[in-house]
Amino acid sequence: MKNIKFLLFSAFVFISMFAQVDRTYPPKPGIAPKINIGEAESFTLENGLKVFVVENHKIPKVTFSFDFDYQFATEGEKTGLSEITGELIGTGTESKSKSEIDESVDFIGANINSTSRGISGSVLSKFTEYYFSILSDVILNAKFEQSELEKLQKQTVSGLKSEEAEPNAIASKVTNSLIFGKKSPYGEIKTEQTVKSITLDDVKTFYKNNFVPNVTYLAIVGDIDKNQAEKLVNKYLAKWQKGEVTKSEFEFARQPFVRKVAVVDRPNAVQSVIHVATPLKFKQDSKDLFAAKVANSIFGGGFTSRLNLNLREKHGFTYGVRSSLMQDELMGSLDISCEVRNSVTDSSLSEILSEMKKMRNELVSSKELDAIKKYMVGSFALSLEQPETIAKFAINIAKYNLPTDFYETYLEKIEKVTAEDVQAVSKKYLDPEKIHLIVVGSNDQVGENLKKLSPNGKINYYDTYGNEVDISAKNLPTDITAEQVVDKYYEAIGGKEKISQVKDEQVIMKGNVQGYDLEITISRKFPNKFYFLLDIGIMQQIQKYDGKNAMVSGMQGEKILEGEELETMKIESEMNSLLRAKELGIELKLVGIEDVNGKKAYKIDVVKPKNNITTEYYDISTGLKLQEISTRNTEQGQFTTTIVYGEYKDFNGYKFPGTISQSVAGQSFDLTVESYIVNSGLEDGIFVVETQQESSF
Amino acid sequence: MNRYGLLAFLLISTFLTISAQKSKIEFEEYDLPNGLHVILHQDSSTPIVAVSVLYHVGSKNERSDRTGFAHFFEHLMFEGSKNIPRGDYFQLVQGNGGNLNANTSFDRTFYYEILPSNQLGLALWLESERMLHLQIDSVGVETQRKVIKEEKKQRLDNQPYGSILEQTFKRAYSVHPYQWTPIGSDQYIDQATIDEFMDFYKTYYVPNNATLSISGDIKIEEAKYLIETYFSEIPKGSRKMNIPNVVEPPLTKAIQDTVYDNIQLPAVIQSYRIAPQGTADFYALEMLTTYLSQGKSSILKKALVDDKQSAVFTGAFPLPMEDEGQFLMFSIANMGTSVQDLQHQMDSIISYVQSNTMDENSFQKLQNQVVSNFVEQTSTQAGIAEALANYHVFFDEANLINTEIDKYLSVTPQQISDVAKKYLNLNGRVVLHYLPKSAQKN
Repeated sequence: MKNIKFLLFSAFVFISMFAQVDRTYPPKPGIAPKINIGEAESFTLENGLKVFVVENHKIPKVTFSFDFDYQFATEGEKTGLSEITGELIGTGTESKSKSEIDESVDFIGANINSTSRGISGSVLSKFTEYYFSILSDVILNAKFEQSELEKLQKQTVSGLKSEEAEPNAIASKVTNSLIFGKKSPYGEIKTEQTVKSITLDDVKTFYKNNFVPNVTYLAIVGDIDKNQAEKLVNKYLAKWQKGEVTKSEFEFARQPFVRKVAVVDRPNAVQSVIHVATPLKFKQDSKDLFAAKVANSIFGGGFTSRLNLNLREKHGFTYGVRSSLMQDELMGSLDISCEVRNSVTDSSLSEILSEMKKMRNELVSSKELDAIKKYMVGSFALSLEQPETIAKFAINIAKYNLPTDFYETYLEKIEKVTAEDVQAVSKKYLDPEKIHLIVVGSNDQVGENLKKLSPNGKINYYDTYGNEVDISAKNLPTDITAEQVVDKYYEAIGGKEKISQVKDEQVIMKGNVQGYDLEITISRKFPNKFYFLLDIGIMQQIQKYDGKNAMVSGMQGEKILEGEELETMKIESEMNSLLRAKELGIELKLVGIEDVNGKKAYKIDVVKPKNNITTEYYDISTGLKLQEISTRNTEQGQFTTTIVYGEYKDFNGYKFPGTISQSVAGQSFDLTVESYIVNSGLEDGIFVVETQQESSF
Repeated sequence: MNRYGLLAFLLISTFLTISAQKSKIEFEEYDLPNGLHVILHQDSSTPIVAVSVLYHVGSKNERSDRTGFAHFFEHLMFEGSKNIPRGDYFQLVQGNGGNLNANTSFDRTFYYEILPSNQLGLALWLESERMLHLQIDSVGVETQRKVIKEEKKQRLDNQPYGSILEQTFKRAYSVHPYQWTPIGSDQYIDQATIDEFMDFYKTYYVPNNATLSISGDIKIEEAKYLIETYFSEIPKGSRKMNIPNVVEPPLTKAIQDTVYDNIQLPAVIQSYRIAPQGTADFYALEMLTTYLSQGKSSILKKALVDDKQSAVFTGAFPLPMEDEGQFLMFSIANMGTSVQDLQHQMDSIISYVQSNTMDENSFQKLQNQVVSNFVEQTSTQAGIAEALANYHVFFDEANLINTEIDKYLSVTPQQISDVAKKYLNLNGRVVLHYLPKSAQKN
């Protein structure tokens, strides 16, 4: 009262001084109000059901929320089962049909929403008991009908079809499948097939095993007190039978070793939906939970986050961007997302990555840290306006086994976070090199520029269900065959006729790798003699095939090739093999048109015997070979080699690339072609492989 | 009658007392000498305060060659003022533990902050600076120009069915400015200039065109003092506002069109011209909507989604507007249903509600649903502040926050079928078929 009197007085006194209010500074705030987390009362039934009650009489309504905390499990070929089961609850009980239930719930202006892991609804408090009798009947005595299952399956499949056109739905599905893995319950994607394979028995079994009181939390919030709630719950839910709790094992995808770029092509898109995401080893009980929350808020939390100030307020790339940090009892994830116009898709991603770096490399200022803490404290206080928040806190403590004072000390723990803590967690969790970049947008317009964000220059393409696809197949040309592409190539490098008469050739290339000069000599003689010499001065590596035997030698000594390796060497040694593709059993497949370093190229899969596939790219306009990519399985694992052919030069009427660069396993080196000589009459001698049997004579 | 029905029937007798049971929202309202209307509601249950300013200007006040202008301007109102550097609006509110945002409709522009209750002064300072000292520069304008075009893509162009409102309204009106939607067109967003913005500011962002509505843990006298301190020096506006005074002629025959969109499932949209908000007919139309599509047992949902399984979604939405608005019906086809069949089914539901007066049971259900919806709007301080401002500006009666329910409850079943007959006129409507782009013949 004293306060008000004083204010009245001051209002009176200052009334003539209004014009003199100092507008240059924000007014000083009053004393900060005490943040008081309301109490949730709780009790547990004998069947294990845990009930939380939060009384709040602001409006004459009561909300009930059942949270079915059964174990997550993969659903595989029945993906969608938990969702279908959840949604079918409410479509029939032992004594009531779906339309009877709907009619009764609507009659009192209430609603029931059911999902895979929860059922909730609210009702005018006047009708509380009547509503609760319906709700408990629906949960305890659910009866599943084939006709309702089929109806829901049809709707779900239509829904899936509809989602194929919704960029945000696509992006979140594909992101989840990439970061959590398609074999984890967090990353599985339901399809028409998985939905249709769900039977009524599947649903009944799933319901019986999982919708049991001993894994269920019930929040009752609103115009009700604990006594009323307890009576109600005892009356209607005491007879709910306890069930066996099943455990299930599954694997999560790991944080990628290198940055990966994924694109889902939507040819007509005018905007790209982008996600920058990774799974994290970060759980609800992590020691750095609070530091990570603070770091994420600075990075991408509110309107004033660094990401939003950069992408929206500085560059005008997007209407808004945010970063979400998720964690539960099993694992966590980071997911930054926004929608941006096509032309700034790559720039937006670059800015996000550089903001990540900044978080890692620099300490946040005390001003920024202070502001974000105030924001977090304020948000926490504002959230308490909803009584549901208080119930949620109580349930989280029970569900995740948190210390009972977890929320009471929440603000203290936020306050204690230091700039060093923020940097430490940023280094741990914000790694721009080990993350997925996911873009749902027009590949034609944004694809090429995304390549530079990928360490190997490669983009993986996915369909809307997270399956990897070969995008180039979509651009399959119809006016040319693979054989014609190859013919055009031979014409371009000297003429098909002339090339088929080449008896031998030798190329010498020079380069430098890790500070060492190296020289490579490759000699071939018709039809399949092959010699390769890599000379680095301190060591030499040789590969040879003489038409019958093959060897490799190097630092580890000499090895005669046998079996698979010999077969591969034989095929690889065929000179100008594509001229004799049929004869050698080589299959040529034209698989599309792609951009190679800004040039349009035909993409040909060259399938050699033993199913070794090399993908070759031929320039559409010049016919010249631009690049080839091959993947080979060796004892050391799988290696993908990319060879890029540079500007072609003329060597006595034959065209050969002036430079060649090769990359394998993340290492790349550039070679300059010193000489390319054709038909110099190479002797057989250099190709001869002396096998041990022969040398022992 | 099933068991639930019987029990529900027994409960009906107690129902009519419900509206009285909701605790009354007490408030105080007054005008400052410069015309600013102030509404204050005190509630100390949570130590927070919601501060809002409603400017009575929306897209309908725009020039036809500057569509999207009011919304563009809303973005600029976060740019800064004489005393608040660019970007500081957000920093000041969030850095003091609050939230803020704004939105623009056909008829109004609405700004709000929700803060811990000791920061009332901050919110008032910010809003008064906004009204008194707007400062914009080319950097801010150019940035927001881009941001808004992204917002438009995100909401409309890249969003399945996102263009429904735009496509419907441009056909439903030929002279009234409701023919364009608040987001406007890229072309005019590009053309808007700083001079035009300043002119708009001086015309519409004046105290006599604004309502300051505050709800939360405040002390009334202190709030009044602070309001006086920050707002009294703002001069009254005197420029002529562009308030549309055109009468949109009725559609004399149905307009039917096809829109090809990036969608997979076809959709049918029907739109009917209706009475302005606040009229008796409008309340009856809102009741009709609830009857048609609220809840799984509503006649539209039960027929199309449940029984015929022809739609995955269906709903009816009367858009509350200051002048004659639209009653939108929207259904998305289930697989295997053609747009023609879907439209036919929607039409037969319309003819059903026109020719049948609902029974007592349906009517009781409807009233229960309307009461249940009505109490929700006062569950948060922000909701209360906004409702008070709306009721004042559009109905000149803030107390409707307590009494509007009576207007709904006085509607009779006969009135509901009457408005269905009067407004859902098959020959005066816009019908759009949304089809996948793949169905487009060149």
